[in-house]
Amino acid sequence: MNKQQESKVSWGVSYGEMVFREFVKGWLNVVCMVLIAFLFAVAILAPFLANDKPFVIRIDGRLYFPLFQDLRPNDYCVFLAAIIAGVQLFLVRRNRRRVEPSIRSAVLWRQIWVNTGILLAGVILLLIFIPRRLDATDYKAMVASGKGSGAIFAPVPYGYARTDLKMREQPPGREHWLGTDDVGSDVLCRLIHGSRISLSVGFVAVGISSIIGIAIGAILGYFGGRVDFVGMRIVEIMMAIPTFFLIITIVAFFPRSLLNIMIIIGITSWTDDARFIRAEFFKLRNQDFVQAAVSLGLPLRSILFRHMLPNGIAPVLVNASFGIAGAIFIEAALSFLGFGVAPPAPSWGQMLSLGVSTTGRFLWWLTLFPGLAIFFTVLAYNLVGEALRDAIDPRLRKAA
Amino acid sequence: MTTYIVRRLLLMIPTLLGITIMVFAISRIAPGDPVSLSMGPGGQLDAARAADVRKARMALYGLDKPIPVQYAKWLGRVARLDFGDSIKHHRPVIDIIKERLPITITLNLIAFVLIYTISLPLGVLVAVKHKQFLDRASSVLLFMLWSLPSMWVGQMLIGYFCGPTFKNWFPPAGLSSNYAEQLPFFPWLADRLWHLVLPVTCFTYSGFAYLTKQVRAGMLDNLRADYVRTARAKGLSNWVVIFRHAFRNSVIPVITIMATLLPAMLGGSVIIESIFSVPGMGLLAFEAVTTRDYNVVMAVATIGGVLNLIGLLLGDIAYAIADPRISFESSV
Amino acid sequence: MSRDSVLLSVQGLSVSFSMEDGIAKAVQDVSFSMKKGRTFALVGESGCGKSVTALSIMRLIPDPPGKIVAGGITFDGRNLLELSERRMRSIRGNKIAMIFQEPMTCLNPVYTVGNQIAEAIELHQRKSAREAWADAVSMLHKVGIPDPQQRATEYPHQMSGGMRQRVMIAMAVSCEPQLLIADEPTTALDVTIQAQILDLLDRLQEQNGMSILLITHDLGIVAERASDVAVMYASRIVEVADSRSLFAEPLHPYTQGLLKSLPRLGVSARRLRTIPGVVPEPLHFPNGCKFHPRCPIGCGDKRCQSVEPELRDVRAGRRAACWYAEGYETIEEHKDYESKYGEHKRVPAEG
Repeated sequence: MNKQQESKVSWGVSYGEMVFREFVKGWLNVVCMVLIAFLFAVAILAPFLANDKPFVIRIDGRLYFPLFQDLRPNDYCVFLAAIIAGVQLFLVRRNRRRVEPSIRSAVLWRQIWVNTGILLAGVILLLIFIPRRLDATDYKAMVASGKGSGAIFAPVPYGYARTDLKMREQPPGREHWLGTDDVGSDVLCRLIHGSRISLSVGFVAVGISSIIGIAIGAILGYFGGRVDFVGMRIVEIMMAIPTFFLIITIVAFFPRSLLNIMIIIGITSWTDDARFIRAEFFKLRNQDFVQAAVSLGLPLRSILFRHMLPNGIAPVLVNASFGIAGAIFIEAALSFLGFGVAPPAPSWGQMLSLGVSTTGRFLWWLTLFPGLAIFFTVLAYNLVGEALRDAIDPRLRKAA
Repeated sequence: MTTYIVRRLLLMIPTLLGITIMVFAISRIAPGDPVSLSMGPGGQLDAARAADVRKARMALYGLDKPIPVQYAKWLGRVARLDFGDSIKHHRPVIDIIKERLPITITLNLIAFVLIYTISLPLGVLVAVKHKQFLDRASSVLLFMLWSLPSMWVGQMLIGYFCGPTFKNWFPPAGLSSNYAEQLPFFPWLADRLWHLVLPVTCFTYSGFAYLTKQVRAGMLDNLRADYVRTARAKGLSNWVVIFRHAFRNSVIPVITIMATLLPAMLGGSVIIESIFSVPGMGLLAFEAVTTRDYNVVMAVATIGGVLNLIGLLLGDIAYAIADPRISFESSV
Repeated sequence: MSRDSVLLSVQGLSVSFSMEDGIAKAVQDVSFSMKKGRTFALVGESGCGKSVTALSIMRLIPDPPGKIVAGGITFDGRNLLELSERRMRSIRGNKIAMIFQEPMTCLNPVYTVGNQIAEAIELHQRKSAREAWADAVSMLHKVGIPDPQQRATEYPHQMSGGMRQRVMIAMAVSCEPQLLIADEPTTALDVTIQAQILDLLDRLQEQNGMSILLITHDLGIVAERASDVAVMYASRIVEVADSRSLFAEPLHPYTQGLLKSLPRLGVSARRLRTIPGVVPEPLHFPNGCKFHPRCPIGCGDKRCQSVEPELRDVRAGRRAACWYAEGYETIEEHKDYESKYGEHKRVPAEG
């Protein structure tokens, strides 16, 4: 046996691998992961799936590529991030096979830093060099009038901001597969582009709330005593006001934008994570390996984040999945009430609010399809959260 | 027990203060200020005169004083339940709240009672029939119920049951029909209840799904516990073991769940009340945010927090009564 | 009933559990009998099936996944396995009582101690709540708990481990059962408390004339308190004897190994002796004799690897399940062995 095969035998399985294997034993979990991956794909490829500009068109004998020229820096950033995420996942798998466990996490961190650096550099370059080009040409009219020919459009040949007042509030039909909304935009197209908003709100908000929650929980849990007493009062104050009330209170006073919504949801949802981490750190604080780290004189941030945190992070991961579902729901609720992103930005919640028209007509396609989108997304993340919880807990119980 | 309650009430005071500080801070951190907004764009036209008006208004509202002073003044007024006047309704905020609050509380109470009445027996039933068809099917259903977005459910209910397009079984809005004033008591009550069916359903379904799952999980754990085996070894019948022993222990964590359900339902009232046009606190909050009625927004946030705290206190008392391991002497 | 008559007789009991990975035969073909008024010890390592045997007598095996697949249990003349559940319930806590290992988790935390004792009394003796409470208080006094009036109003979490076990005992003997099954009653307690609890059990046994089925892995307790012993290994009984004979002359290699591994006062040694290997898992029992992979005699022996020895009477009052136990093999079997496998390790007894 050569060295690699020998070491593979003796490496055993890591905690993450054990949880992953337990997780994929359930077929429903795999279905949910596939659904989530599908949503990601839709969000990343949105401009290619639903766009009113064709991929290619021939005008006066020359070939033009309007869709590609109209891609915005936003889109390029998304593509770049997706590619790097894919590369990172591949690297993780490769690390498992090639790299020795003791240095594996260091290698992984280095890869993540390098990739993030590339991503940030790329994003900055793109933002500098690709200005937003407004191209309001109506290519369909061109094709219709004969000026352009040989045009290949995206599967859903509508733009999400394109309004068409002649086709307002149409039920699903051949032209618009899922109907149109109150200003004539195609529902399917707005659903596809809306996935970007939902997913980004989900992840950014949960990212913010997790970071705040972990930081506060770690300090409270590690120091205990008076720090904990005061800190818990603050946590209680945050928990005292019902979250949604707090969110709309803040929304009332601040200007509306997608970024603000993400931040607001993030800074109001951290209390659960803080309590989980605090409880875990209470337990971990007295364990021998922590006391050993303290006695070695390691700096505080090293003790907290390199030694204690990986052991206590499990409930936060579980909560993160539920948190994404919750953040998506809150964004939809805010947009539904009119406090979220404003049209023409495509939000599933905003589309839902158009379901009952101003005249009292029930536009079922505007209720059913966005609602289903929200429902399945939330359901998938909830199921993943439950399955993660089951994958982590019984394993711990068996080991104990 | 009274010392426990008094101590908890005393501990609540810093939290209450904290709530007021947070609400006040939000209102002051925000860009813009009430005076500019109340003056509107027209206030920019004549610069000199606008500046004078502005100064006068600021003095009127006390906005020219330092922030802690402003806070202290505001807090003093709040302690006397004076939240100022509503810009939209031109009435004292506290009066509007007095009208709206009972409705929200009633809805929440009805939903609570319904949730607990249905969930407890159902949770016990599916736990006893663990791994059988009823348990598996209900687990799936309950999970899906829990994931349903409430505004979608509300919208669909209105669309399918309240309108001319499909069925027209329920009224889509309001608490009473227009002619309700003229009805004698019982028909009036029936009319009220008829209006309440859909909103209460929306309030209840999600908490019911969550609570049933928790009861089931708690019962499953307790049915496997050692003391249940001891109880069976004493010769007790199955039902006595399930209810007197396992269930009595499962009820304890279920009470603490009230602490999570209450704020969720208060928050959800914003969505549901605005969908069904029920004139409660939630709808008030929605209108206030839409019309930038700041006094009302701050009042609603503060009162919402107070309500929540009261509910949590009641929950803690119930928990301490139910679990003998928690003594009233120990601090929670 | 005369003093030495048989109170409990277990014949050929087999209990299996259906697990995810297969069927685990936790108890196979277990037979023993207990005399009235005596203490019978069931000894073995964790996982050998002794607790399952005890629970089967009470018919407390959870039905999925466990099932009593064969055998009979005769108590006081009646076959317990044929009784209706209602009849069985009137026996549980009443004629047969059981105490368990972990007194903290075995008592309901939300009811007072007196309440839990009175519950059994109310149920079986049809007394009113007040009478049952008075009985509960007197039971607490009987098991040696000071200030029983006050203690009866306390909750389990307010008591120490030893006191909780006394409460369990009070609960169990409150209806004066004929048989008390004690499943590792002292394992979770300090050594000093252990002695007190065992003394208490002895005292109660004398007063009530009840039999005790003592389940334990501690041979020291067996030597002190039990009159008869059965040794279990990997779901089967491998040896039955009265305790004095067992300790003087163990017949089964497993018993011999257990006794050799006990540290002894006055004997100097560098290392404690152990039985090599580990107890097999119910899902992966070896073929033939279940002990053979660890047995100094049977390891490598072709017969021990393929044919499982049944529990047989070897002498008066002694049974063993080992081909090489003295007095076990018949002459036919000896000849059969030699014709199949050749040289034999031991010479059989005559006749």
